[in-house]
Amino acid sequence: MQADKVLNVTGLSCPLPVVRSKKAIDEMVSGQVLEIHATDKGAVKDIPAWAKSAGHVLLKQTEEEGVYKFWVQKG
Amino acid sequence: MSKRVAIIAANGSLFDAYKVFNIATAAAASEAEVGIFFTFEGLNLIHKEAHKQLPLPPGKEAMKDMLAQANIPSIPELLQMAKDLGVRLTACQMSMDLMNVKEEDLIDGIEVAGAAAFLDFAYDADVTLTF
Repeated sequence: MQADKVLNVTGLSCPLPVVRSKKAIDEMVSGQVLEIHATDKGAVKDIPAWAKSAGHVLLKQTEEEGVYKFWVQKG
Repeated sequence: MSKRVAIIAANGSLFDAYKVFNIATAAAASEAEVGIFFTFEGLNLIHKEAHKQLPLPPGKEAMKDMLAQANIPSIPELLQMAKDLGVRLTACQMSMDLMNVKEEDLIDGIEVAGAAAFLDFAYDADVTLTF
């Protein structure tokens, strides 16, 4: 999936993945897609919840060899 | 419309600080309006010096090394994040008077107010938490 920006938060634990995601998406415009890479297991539920409460849309999420990837479209 | 989260921080150990600042920064990152009222030992969390060396709870001292190795932000880092995210930090005037804490003993950017002022913010909160 095509992303406008990629954010690497691997190795970081709660609450950093959502805090960094907010900072990254704040610099983008509505409709653009942020791709997030995380290894924190909590991110599996946290990033979708963050996207929902912050008014963004989670387009896709995958897990591959312990790396969780999310594609979030800015609302 | 954005959500509002009102948090009361009434305790001063390192664990208390993580509970308060993790929830506060996660909420603010999710576009909630967040306010924390620091009262009694909770004032340690915004004290210029004390917040850098908060004690572990009694009996948990052995966790010091585990915490140092864990890949988690420090309390000063979390506090800075909370400020950057626009979290409102309010110190309880009465606790400060009682515990002889001066405004200049606290980190910058703290509002000093009483219970009624914090309640005015909390009445419209969607979530209220006490730690």
